[in-house]
Amino acid sequence: MSLRTFAPSSDERVIAGVCAGIAQTLAVDPTLVRLVFALLALAGGAGVLLYLALWAWAEGRRVWIAALLAFVAGCALLGALGLSNRSVVGVALIGGGLALAWRQGGSFHPEAPLSYGGIGLAAVGAVVLLSDGGTSSALLAPGAVAGALLLIGGPWVWRLAVERDVERTARIRSEERSDMAARVHDSVLQTLALIQRHAQEPRRVASLARRQERELRGWLYGDQPLGDDSASLMAALQAAAGDVEELHGVRVELASAGDCPVDQPVGALVLAAREAMTNAAKFAGVDEIDVYAEVTADTVGVFVRDRGAGFDREAVPADRRGLVESIEGRMERAGGRATVVSSPGGGTEVELHLPRAAS
Amino acid sequence: MKRRVVLIDDHDLFLAGVRAELGDRVEVVGQAGTIADAVPLIRELDPDVVLLDVHLPDGSGDAIINAVAPDRPGVRFLALSVSDAAEDVIAVIRAGARGYVTKTISGTELASAIERVATGDAVFSPRLAGFVLDAFRAGEQVGGDAELDELTPREREVLQLIARGYMYKEIAARLHLSVKTVESHVSNVLRKLQLSTRHELTRWATQHRLV
Repeated sequence: MSLRTFAPSSDERVIAGVCAGIAQTLAVDPTLVRLVFALLALAGGAGVLLYLALWAWAEGRRVWIAALLAFVAGCALLGALGLSNRSVVGVALIGGGLALAWRQGGSFHPEAPLSYGGIGLAAVGAVVLLSDGGTSSALLAPGAVAGALLLIGGPWVWRLAVERDVERTARIRSEERSDMAARVHDSVLQTLALIQRHAQEPRRVASLARRQERELRGWLYGDQPLGDDSASLMAALQAAAGDVEELHGVRVELASAGDCPVDQPVGALVLAAREAMTNAAKFAGVDEIDVYAEVTADTVGVFVRDRGAGFDREAVPADRRGLVESIEGRMERAGGRATVVSSPGGGTEVELHLPRAAS
Repeated sequence: MKRRVVLIDDHDLFLAGVRAELGDRVEVVGQAGTIADAVPLIRELDPDVVLLDVHLPDGSGDAIINAVAPDRPGVRFLALSVSDAAEDVIAVIRAGARGYVTKTISGTELASAIERVATGDAVFSPRLAGFVLDAFRAGEQVGGDAELDELTPREREVLQLIARGYMYKEIAARLHLSVKTVESHVSNVLRKLQLSTRHELTRWATQHRLV
């Protein structure tokens, strides 16, 4: 429950409904609130001023009128408590400084600046309070200064923490989006491209669409990697190679030394390898692709090679997702790396490496 | 002179396909579909090269090699299979086959593989190279003949490139070697594979139910 939601009550009001509104917000008896205000009114009229301040604030009148009224009410209250005038001014200045600092920085917006005015005001108040020399304020002053600093610095530190969280959330979200984009590119966009190319063959189109639907469902509802899922690296690569053979009518020669279970990074490796095979099938202009997977104690390596057209790395447009996002970005996110060796006319070899410590 | 070749495979359709693919590049002198038929046929014909399926209805291809090799040392064997199982392939190679190619190989490539095997070279497909690297996986060495039990770094490098789909002349260019040197590395690997008593290799074979 927050006082921010406070609004004067028009139903149960006696004067302006401020007490009733507060009572409603805090869920207490309005009589109790009125009693508190009556007692405060005895302290140099602080209760009356505070009442007016709250009313002005709740009615949405100028906020500075409310602040001024509250400020004077605070002074009256402190004076009534028997503090010297200087102490009252000091405490009032600190209070004003805090109000200013919280008004600007306390809203916890990451972009809100630290309130130098507020800090300055509070600092002057502290100096006034310290120079007052009375026994009561000598005890009060250090505590008040420490408290003031805490209250001013607090929101700022809090804001830093919030900012870091926001940044982390944004980064995770952007990584998720990249991963999603890579998956969608590998499967859905590829299938759509194939469907366009085979628009004249209704049965082929239907089978492509069915297959894509199955994959997409598996991924969305079954928590399975889009494309394939298998228990071991070799089984997964075989499935990927089979898909590429079926979709693009090429032959994939798969060789391997060793095997390992598929966890998340290895799954990413398989998807990257599949994309490399797809690229070779689509752009190299050959009918055979060689794939070699090697699992050693500390790394997993997959090599996808063709003897086809090759390409100039510099000439690939940056928006071509396949290479940059689906292969290189994906391998980096999985903690590995991808190297592409290619030259026009000299074939292409994509090397994917993943440290096993990360898998 | 054309190489005299015997085909051993139990799939008639495949045999017909291979004959057609090879055309007149080699002379196919005979064919058989079982171990029982193949052994007397090879003894009788004494061909240059036997193209051998790894799996036959009455057993595994290495049984033919074991039966024929002692008294027909001139016959070379080349395994030809769609089998994905490392243990079967390694068994045939350890029995004495000079190479292993997959059935997806083109007619031209198969003819050149037959020629290479006939002249005593080894023919490693990418898949076989992977299997062999796996079998020789680095590990602690326990006794045995060190020279036979380990691949040299160079041999390993050559095998890795074969596994990645490089042809001998591409490997030679990449490693700045002559094609002959690459071939001799591959032959050495084959010899080690056949003669090694390496602990790791034995253990690997046991795991894969070879011994």
